[in-house]
Amino acid sequence: MRSEFVKGHYNEEIDVRDFIQRNYTPYEGDGAFLCGPTERTKKLMEKVNALLKAETDKGGVLDVDTERVSSLLTYPAGYIDRENELIVGLQTDAPLKRGVNPFGGIRMARQACEAYGYKLSDLVETEFSYKTTHNDAVFHVYTDEMKAVRHAGLLTGLPDAYGRGRIIGDYRRVALYGVDKLIEEKQKDKRERGMRPMDEQNIRTLEELYKQIDFLKKLKEMALLYGVDISAPAQNAREAIQWTYFAYLAAIKEQNGAAMSLGRVSTFFDIYLERDIADGVLTESGAQELVDDFVIKCRITRQLRTPEYNEMFGGDPTWTTESIGGMGLDGRTLVTKTSYRILHTLYNLGAAPEPNMTVLWSERLPEPFKKFCAQVSVDTDSVQYENDDLMRPIFGDDYGIACCVSAMKIGKQMQFFGARCNLAKLLLLTLNGGRDEKSGLQIAPEGERFTGVLDYEKVRRAYSKYMAWLCRLYVNTLNVIHYMHDKYAYEKIQMALHDTDVERFLACGVAGLSVVTDSLSAIKYAKVTPVYGENGLIERFETEGEFPKYGNDDDRVDRLAAELVEEFSEELKKTPAYRGAKHTLSVLTITSNVAYGKKTGATPDGRKAGEPFAPGANPMHERDVSGALASLNSVAKLSYDCCRDGISNTFSIVPSALGDNAEERRENLADMLDGYFAQGAHHLNVNVFDRSKLIAAMEHPELYPSVTIRVSGYAVNFHKLSRAHQLEVIKRTYHGRM
Amino acid sequence: MCDRNKVGAEYSAPTPYGFIDSVYCGSGVDGKGLRCVVFLSGCNLRCPFCHNPETLFKKGTLTSAEELAERLVRYKPYFKRGGVTLSGGEPFLQKEFCLALVRLLAERGVRVAFETNGHICDAELIAAGEIICDVKNQESDDLSVYEEFFAECARQGKVPQVTNVLVPGKNDSEEKLRALAALVRKFIPAAQIKLLPFRKLCADKYAELSLPFPYAEIKECDEEEMERAYSVINACI
Repeated sequence: MRSEFVKGHYNEEIDVRDFIQRNYTPYEGDGAFLCGPTERTKKLMEKVNALLKAETDKGGVLDVDTERVSSLLTYPAGYIDRENELIVGLQTDAPLKRGVNPFGGIRMARQACEAYGYKLSDLVETEFSYKTTHNDAVFHVYTDEMKAVRHAGLLTGLPDAYGRGRIIGDYRRVALYGVDKLIEEKQKDKRERGMRPMDEQNIRTLEELYKQIDFLKKLKEMALLYGVDISAPAQNAREAIQWTYFAYLAAIKEQNGAAMSLGRVSTFFDIYLERDIADGVLTESGAQELVDDFVIKCRITRQLRTPEYNEMFGGDPTWTTESIGGMGLDGRTLVTKTSYRILHTLYNLGAAPEPNMTVLWSERLPEPFKKFCAQVSVDTDSVQYENDDLMRPIFGDDYGIACCVSAMKIGKQMQFFGARCNLAKLLLLTLNGGRDEKSGLQIAPEGERFTGVLDYEKVRRAYSKYMAWLCRLYVNTLNVIHYMHDKYAYEKIQMALHDTDVERFLACGVAGLSVVTDSLSAIKYAKVTPVYGENGLIERFETEGEFPKYGNDDDRVDRLAAELVEEFSEELKKTPAYRGAKHTLSVLTITSNVAYGKKTGATPDGRKAGEPFAPGANPMHERDVSGALASLNSVAKLSYDCCRDGISNTFSIVPSALGDNAEERRENLADMLDGYFAQGAHHLNVNVFDRSKLIAAMEHPELYPSVTIRVSGYAVNFHKLSRAHQLEVIKRTYHGRM
Repeated sequence: MCDRNKVGAEYSAPTPYGFIDSVYCGSGVDGKGLRCVVFLSGCNLRCPFCHNPETLFKKGTLTSAEELAERLVRYKPYFKRGGVTLSGGEPFLQKEFCLALVRLLAERGVRVAFETNGHICDAELIAAGEIICDVKNQESDDLSVYEEFFAECARQGKVPQVTNVLVPGKNDSEEKLRALAALVRKFIPAAQIKLLPFRKLCADKYAELSLPFPYAEIKECDEEEMERAYSVINACI
């Protein structure tokens, strides 16, 4: 006889959180219960490692299916090793073979194939010659001004040629309810909306509901290709994991969004795993094996990208972000044994960047778990931390992180990903009177060209004016993009796994915050004079005297950064967002800080033309010289209230500075996280290593195939980064203590 | 945003001033837990392996204890097990300043540790915080100067952490290591000896200050050397 789950509201309506709250078992102990990999897991992982090596040897892409367009039912069932897989399902018919997804834009798909020596088939080319893609449609509407700022690199990384991503389907619903029940609920919603007046909004919702139901049916069929019937609820742990994975798999077959995040599945899985263990039908080793197998699948997720895309988002990331731990609203911890099990995969399978392990940190997390996480960070550099005490009051206790730092209630909120604008370039545009400092084109309204020693107040006022101009243009550009994405590349399966009434965010972003902050500080506290070139554009700056630099816990300059993001956030809100979305802001660059730097001339802070920015909200490389805690304190001053889409900080410290021995390092890292987050900081990527290790890994990649590092809200295999990205990472500040 | 500038405003009495070289916020190796390390200027010794030659002379920034305490207390959220370490230079040379700082920090719940060379045996200072004492036996076999210091620690029931910079060819002989262990065992048997490998990362600082680096030609201490030295010391305890 199987134990019954505690019943509740979730039996009446779709409510995964209610199911979790009534049935999960908080775990406050340590990791002593964990099991190593089984022989089966080891054998399977060997196969995967061989495939990963082959992929690297082939230049980063193992194979491409150029004949078919990726979707749920495009490919027959694929396996790594059919007899030995516990959780099944691949994106295409073979592991690491990439599918083509031209719905975002056919040109991008074509170029991506060509970049790796493939040719998109005539069949696909012909088929899409009759179709409007998301990319086509956006460009049908873009104004000249929008094209100009995009071309100049003032707005970059916009999701106008690929899937926008950053949407988390509540993949757990499939396991808890089975697909039939989900279809039934959506049909009910559709009937209900059919009674409403048929205005544009309602018609659109009805059409979307049709698509959602259609794709839920396809999801069932997709599972049947693997011989699995997922129409009814999962009955045991293996099924729960398999059902959930199928739902996620459907999403990544359908969409090539930049970030296709997983949500918050581990504690959900734990309920099933612990029940099976209690009922005597599963051992701890068996439970770990299921989690290991699931994680292997998450690790081999792939999308086909162009080299230009990789320049923005280096290291072939998929942001299969899994949010782990955190606290419940009732004060119980959401840490379970499976929070440990999923982190333990980093030992059982070796360090790896995906899934993007994200620990929701609270001061009240069980101490053994804090130490365990810190140890995993020291050992693998594969974990990022986000402040649960900051987010829980806003998002409740069943939110997840999409991509790097974007919080959303799972299945209830989604976002329109808006990439970011280049704040440093905007300053140069301001000083050049609205002209692009690179091309000389007048891309913004004409203003005063600044000559002679720069006056801070005057510069700051002009900067505000251009900021207002850009924010309006930015929001309007995003409105175009997301209208067209909904129309031509709607996320059918992911939105089917959301409530029909969903809350939307328009997620804007800024890059180059530390560059512009230090530049303004230089103008304010030192003497800065622009030097013009023959073309009438500022070529460089002469800076005399000292000025305080962001990253040293010096309020004189840190305040400038805090004011900038507050002002930017307020400006964004002045332009209404598509579909009633709420404007949010992130200080996050992914790895585009390198590309942005390339596109930006010399800045008053002393940064040379073309030099990379610091990532996210980080202080500029080697300018945070007052110690790790001072650097953290500076970033902690940026307010989450105006940066609700996240504030990314990537932090590197040398092991010998963190503590004398393993125990000290573990405890000090946990204390550091407690101290940082207690001040209302949002996110921290933690790397614990010496610069010399990275230099060795750069020079001899073959010797360091699995060096994993946190870059900017995600982790990468160091060897997968371009040389420019590697050099930028090496240039960062490594907090030590000599 | 939290306003960190108001701390200290309630103090009206003037506090002593001290000479500070720099403050480093974020060390895991200068005492228990995470630390902010204040490098005070001025030293009574001239060790040829000194890692902080910039702190040898009593110059640097004149800072009031109150102002410094204000700055340090910003890091309290990180000080679960840690706190402030007063290093240098020799912190015991600036007694009034140190005691004022300790008092101001204690009022705000921040613990202080001293990193001292043990040549100034001041009962009041020893009582004021945790003690890290670096024994200098590189150029001398005479450890008698530390006897008074450790005896005072023992009298107060204070267990200092003893450190010793291991310099190849200077103080890594079995004899010297045994003498060090014997000294510690005699006065404060519970104390731990932490060996610090001699490094030459400070060579640039000497060059910048146009000071000769007396140990410039001596080789750095490697891991093997450290292990060997620890095994000698552990055999004595």
